[in-house]
Amino acid sequence: MTPIQTPGQVFDAVQRAKGGATAFCTNFFPVESKLRGWINHGELFAELRDGATFFFRKDRDFLRLYFCAADAVALQREIAAWTGLQTERVITDLVGDESAVNKMLPAFEPAGFRRHTQLQRLVRMRRPESATDGLPVGFAEKADGQAVLGLIENIFDRYGEQLPMLYEIEAAIESRQILAARSDGQLAGLLFFETQGLASTVRFWAVAEKFRALKVGSAVMRQYLKIHDAVRRFTLWVNAGNDNAIQKYRHFGYAPDGLIDHVLASRLISA
Amino acid sequence: MKSVIEILTEIRPEFDFTASSDFIADGMLDSFDMVTLVSALDKNWGVSIPGTDIVPENFQNVQTIEALLRKSGTKP
Repeated sequence: MTPIQTPGQVFDAVQRAKGGATAFCTNFFPVESKLRGWINHGELFAELRDGATFFFRKDRDFLRLYFCAADAVALQREIAAWTGLQTERVITDLVGDESAVNKMLPAFEPAGFRRHTQLQRLVRMRRPESATDGLPVGFAEKADGQAVLGLIENIFDRYGEQLPMLYEIEAAIESRQILAARSDGQLAGLLFFETQGLASTVRFWAVAEKFRALKVGSAVMRQYLKIHDAVRRFTLWVNAGNDNAIQKYRHFGYAPDGLIDHVLASRLISA
Repeated sequence: MKSVIEILTEIRPEFDFTASSDFIADGMLDSFDMVTLVSALDKNWGVSIPGTDIVPENFQNVQTIEALLRKSGTKP
């Protein structure tokens, strides 16, 4: 694996895999600002293979695999031939509609990957929302970084949900992308979002255990929707088996749009 | 045959594509939409857009999408 040092190297490596592609398949949809963060922190590596390029991002104690392949045959061949699977703990995501994901699955299962979890995308169109209730909600502050990280790591699955690192949380706080509700000086709940133009994505919506059933989650969600009055399209990814969370999102107008994400774990994780 | 604007509106009916000059920066198309759009353009115009051309710059607005179609051998 070669360390990536510039976004240009990423672009070149993706184009290399696309050259001559008849049925290009990928799970890599990088946003330049995120790429720069990963590169600056020495987290991103690449491996150029015949008909495919693999990118690896170091995430806590495992690697996230992103692939760009000329077609499903090249993907299957190169995954099977990659010797790193014998020694590395690897997670990868297969994203698309059911039929696209089912075409990619056969490339991974023979190499020892097993289904870890499944996420589904929910979408909400613009609609009026009633006023905020419950605890007052404001933007998270610089000093909240560690508490935000702790709450997210405590609630969400680190393999399944692409948890942010502390530096990403600090950058999000500075960019006013995290809403926080506090009670007695403690972080009771949060909503971490990413907004681009007329679209906004909820990355994490969480309430600390001791503050549940107190409308903290509703308060941060309503505040989020209130400050995004101009946004036309809201999206998020949720664990497909988390009926409780899905029910709450439905209450706020979200519904599945048919995109799914199969999270696969390599043998050293799933064993 | 449908126009580029008609195809875009079918994919994302909530947006007014005539009011934007940068669909990506305005959040109107994401990576998944680009894949859907390529498939719809292929089907509607009978072209095959090469993988190397599926980059955000080619999907910024109606003009860049039409230029991509011309490059791929059709006349939008």
